[in-house]
Amino acid sequence: MTSQIATLLAVLLFPGGLFALVLGLALKGADRRVAARLQGRVGPPLIQPFFDLIKLGFKRTMVPTEASETVFLAAPLVGSVAMLISAALIPIAGVYAPDTELGNLLVLLYLLAVPGICLMLAGSASGSPYGAIGFSREMALMLAYEGPIVLIVAAVGMRTGMAEGHWVTFSLTEIVRYQQVHGWFLFDPIMWPAVAAFAFFYPANLGIVPFDIPEAETEVLEGPLLEYSGPALGLFKVMSALKAVVVLGLGIALFLPLPFTGPLAFVGWLVEIVVLMLVGVTALRVSAGRMRIDQAFVFFLKWPLLLAIASVAAVALAAGGAS
Amino acid sequence: MTFINKLKDFAVKSPWLYRINGGSCNGCDVELATTACIPRYDVERLGCQYCGSPRHADIVLITGPLTRRVLDAARRVYDEIPDPKVTVAVGVCPISGGIFRESYAVCAPIDQYFPVDVNVPGCPPRPQAIIEGVAKAIAIWRQRL
Repeated sequence: MTSQIATLLAVLLFPGGLFALVLGLALKGADRRVAARLQGRVGPPLIQPFFDLIKLGFKRTMVPTEASETVFLAAPLVGSVAMLISAALIPIAGVYAPDTELGNLLVLLYLLAVPGICLMLAGSASGSPYGAIGFSREMALMLAYEGPIVLIVAAVGMRTGMAEGHWVTFSLTEIVRYQQVHGWFLFDPIMWPAVAAFAFFYPANLGIVPFDIPEAETEVLEGPLLEYSGPALGLFKVMSALKAVVVLGLGIALFLPLPFTGPLAFVGWLVEIVVLMLVGVTALRVSAGRMRIDQAFVFFLKWPLLLAIASVAAVALAAGGAS
Repeated sequence: MTFINKLKDFAVKSPWLYRINGGSCNGCDVELATTACIPRYDVERLGCQYCGSPRHADIVLITGPLTRRVLDAARRVYDEIPDPKVTVAVGVCPISGGIFRESYAVCAPIDQYFPVDVNVPGCPPRPQAIIEGVAKAIAIWRQRL
């Protein structure tokens, strides 16, 4: 019973739920502020995403007559809930380890695909041609980046599992513990292809500028989000804020968990997540133009997939050579 | 009630802008772009954001003398914008017709068709004037929330 309450608290309060939401919105605010500064502008206040969310609460939700109402309104809800649960699956080194009953890395991989699927459903249910274009682009992009992330996770799992004496591990807690003892995978040359592939993967998953093709506001008018307004749009904003925390948290757990415990570990984790956001997302966003969908598709099937395969092969060979 | 009012004070800091080009010569549209892109006039510091979809909009900026061709489309797009919304007429064309006044092809002034709240005259208006107009629109929007 107590473990169930602990799990519920993990999903709703910390590190999922309220904490992840506030952190995600703050990350978005920092992103917008720093992007403005990099362009020489003043930029919005840091808490701008909170204002946006409150504002959307006061607006009217309009459902187009051509839309399928149930799917149209359920899509943002399902996406947000999936992200709430996956935020509770991300360990914070030295602070929080997820309950094994809640799920492992495989569950997390499935949950990570849910927001993309929800966007596709939203686009196709909205009955708008722009939504349909967004749907097809989102699907092409997902096909391109889902392969690399599975292989990256497999490479990290195999590296940890083989070092620990069994074949492969899908427990993020174990991966984090292994790195706390043996050092970051970031500094392990065998893992470098996986790190590089992950660096390509997370901007695409977060849908920021070089890879925001499904929601390109200048071409398809925000694609799947075109017909959304009011609280439903707010839920999509919540979903993308939580997703930022989940994906960056996954990156930290896979490659650079801190070897500390207590408050220092927590503060260090916050610093890491902010640095990853500002370097990997903001700096990239303001310095790059948007790719075309065919370019992005070929790019992802070429480099990140190649790097991810190379990394799995390297891990397997290294283990073979050691034994 | 005070709590709701407090929330509304926060909500008003996030006005999203949407542009309707009613057959404008693009002079005003260029000036609108400067308010978003030129560091000096950065409209994002007011919390504003130009959005691509009329469904996300709070403040509508209409430019141009509203040509007959574009009238129906402009009215349909305007109806797609969820309430509460505020309308700003940017440039002299939507206010009086400007140099296109009394032409058979334009429907200016646009307040025959849209409930205009703020007029920003000029041909084209300066970016400072547009930002002042947006600030006034925000004050009106606060009362409607």
